[in-house]
Amino acid sequence: MKKTGIVLALVLIAVSVLSACSSNGKESGGQAESSAEASKDVVNLTFWGGVPPEAGPQEIVDNWNKENPDIQVTYVRYVNDDSGNLKLDTALIAGQNVDIFANYTKPLLTKRVSSGAALDLSQFTDYNIDDKMGPSAKEWAVDGKYYAMPTKRNMHFVWMNKDALDEAGLPVPTDWTLADVEKYAKALQTDTRWGYTTFPFWRDIVPFDGSLAVQGYVKEDGTSNLGAPIVEKALQAHYDMMHTSKVSPPISLIETTKMNVIAEFLGNKLALLNAGEWMFRDANNLTDYPRDFKVAFAPLPRITQEQDDFRYLGGLGDAIAINAKSEYKEEAWAFLKWYADGGMLPQASGGRIPASKDADQDKAVELLLGDLEDKYDVESLKRILNNDLPTFQVTLPQEVIDLRREEFDKYYIKAQSLEDTINNVAKRHNDYLKRK
Amino acid sequence: MKLNWMRKQQLTGYLFIAPNMVGVSLFIIIPALFSFFLAFTNWEFPLLKADFVGLSNFKRLIQDEVFYTSLKNTLIFLGSVPVSVGLGFLTALILNKSVYFKNALRTMFFLPYITTGVAIAFVWMLIFQPENGPINSILRSLGIDHPPGWLSSTSSAIFVFDIIWVWFLLGYNVIIYLAALQEVSSELLEASRIDGARKLHTIRFVIWPLVSPTTLFLLMTGFIVSIKQMGIFQAITDGGPGNSTTVLSLFIYKTAFRYYDMGYASAISVFLLLIIIAITAIQWIAQKKWVHYS
Repeated sequence: MKKTGIVLALVLIAVSVLSACSSNGKESGGQAESSAEASKDVVNLTFWGGVPPEAGPQEIVDNWNKENPDIQVTYVRYVNDDSGNLKLDTALIAGQNVDIFANYTKPLLTKRVSSGAALDLSQFTDYNIDDKMGPSAKEWAVDGKYYAMPTKRNMHFVWMNKDALDEAGLPVPTDWTLADVEKYAKALQTDTRWGYTTFPFWRDIVPFDGSLAVQGYVKEDGTSNLGAPIVEKALQAHYDMMHTSKVSPPISLIETTKMNVIAEFLGNKLALLNAGEWMFRDANNLTDYPRDFKVAFAPLPRITQEQDDFRYLGGLGDAIAINAKSEYKEEAWAFLKWYADGGMLPQASGGRIPASKDADQDKAVELLLGDLEDKYDVESLKRILNNDLPTFQVTLPQEVIDLRREEFDKYYIKAQSLEDTINNVAKRHNDYLKRK
Repeated sequence: MKLNWMRKQQLTGYLFIAPNMVGVSLFIIIPALFSFFLAFTNWEFPLLKADFVGLSNFKRLIQDEVFYTSLKNTLIFLGSVPVSVGLGFLTALILNKSVYFKNALRTMFFLPYITTGVAIAFVWMLIFQPENGPINSILRSLGIDHPPGWLSSTSSAIFVFDIIWVWFLLGYNVIIYLAALQEVSSELLEASRIDGARKLHTIRFVIWPLVSPTTLFLLMTGFIVSIKQMGIFQAITDGGPGNSTTVLSLFIYKTAFRYYDMGYASAISVFLLLIIIAITAIQWIAQKKWVHYS
């Protein structure tokens, strides 16, 4: 009896230890095998991205796999939020199978470069990123070098209910300010329809970062510039739209009901929505979001008429990087070039327009509109797609974005005065700057 | 090697608990020690190097306004535990007295405890919705013109969580108390009734002391479970509006996994550990005063 007791216990330990080790052992063993027999065997690449596979990536990967039987790519989706990015970062550090991965903000890419996860692409000389993607590509360079290739055009603009505009006799604006927005919103607002709001994620970034992109977030003496006069004007304007003219839903309503502003706009309960190209995914989905009105597009509103250094949130996005520790860098690079120059087109119906000058732009717009061309005001759409307004990228670190949002929200819900808000933001930003 | 019978038994015992101990060490004890050590560095994930910075993380903690706000919010939130325990006791007393539908009521009270946090979050958000939710609609119909903003107001938001948490813990407390009340000897209750004690006196001087070990257990575990809560805050308000519902655990989560500032987050975690130890120690020492073991 005692012997069987000890044996049983030993077996239990052995099983638990083996099961813990075996999963790691299998992976590393497998990799070693495939790299040993390099040329003849099929190369397996893993591509991590944030877009749901059914919105284009699966088709992209299938297209590539058909044409390239010796390089097979698998798409792995990670949700582009805190936990999803943590998942990707952990996978990169732990040496898990990640050959190609997409970076959606510059700060995230910079972190991955510092930890050595992103490959320096300057070793590949057969593709000139600056030439293909245009001057905005430079915003994605870290220390002057490219560690990821930006592949899509970021476009932020205002979605407008064209039918409502026509009813009110208003033209589609080509350049306007927040004061104009308020006028439009007042004219378009009804009992069942709000006038104007911004997609919550970009609520502070579009107006405030756009205003400070040229001036800078930090003054020359090293202190915070987040309390600049233009910021005060913008804050006041948004506050008035919520509480004075009441054309915007107040923050408290949006937060406590987790309002889906895209659904509100497409359901004709909101006339003007400051958002971007990602909305096409839902706007083209007439099954879930049926609508019968036409949509027109306007550029982002500036804060004041005299403002001449406003920058439009845009530039390039979806910066795809190759894992510096990948065993198949050449194959990954081949896929990346193909992807950027047109392979990524299946995602165009969701709004992802390729940035490369060698990608078929007309095809992209065709896919974007699908067979819903009559639901869009194509003239204003083409204007938005082809403009050369000066753009900027998000470069503020997450912590600063959060602390600013906290203070601004307190002002919007009337928990603190405008003056206190400006002072608190500047103070907290200064504390942050002192630490860095 | 000469193993006698006793030693063999001991060895068997150790071998049996070894798998579990390996797991606990690898996934709980070692990470906790590593985290304690991290609190003295400035490591930022996913960078590959870090420096020792001594006590500077703790110095930063003492000067951090958000830390004090989180601490205050955590303490307000913990206030829901004794309230829930008290209500649980009263409810268990009532349920114990052959009420109709006793089983059904018991199940109803316990259901919140086994419901997932996100489902709870959304339902309560709708109930407390300031403009259209049922609570404010009722308050307005009663004549109160400016009902509280609940989750949209920095002064009332944290109390909403207190209310939700009292409701959540109530079922568990009721179940545990019901079990404890079964242990109360009916002879004692009869004796006190014969002696002429009124209902309230019986409860206060006979029943309450007899279930005091249970009360201590529920308070201690209640505090520990509550102080670790983060999911419900993230789901409903993500710490907002402003910082009014940021509790220490959410503050640690954001610092570690949104700002990737591991050194500082570990320092806050160490502090959180000290708070839990302090609360538990206070209760442990105070129990001599009010807990009666039979």
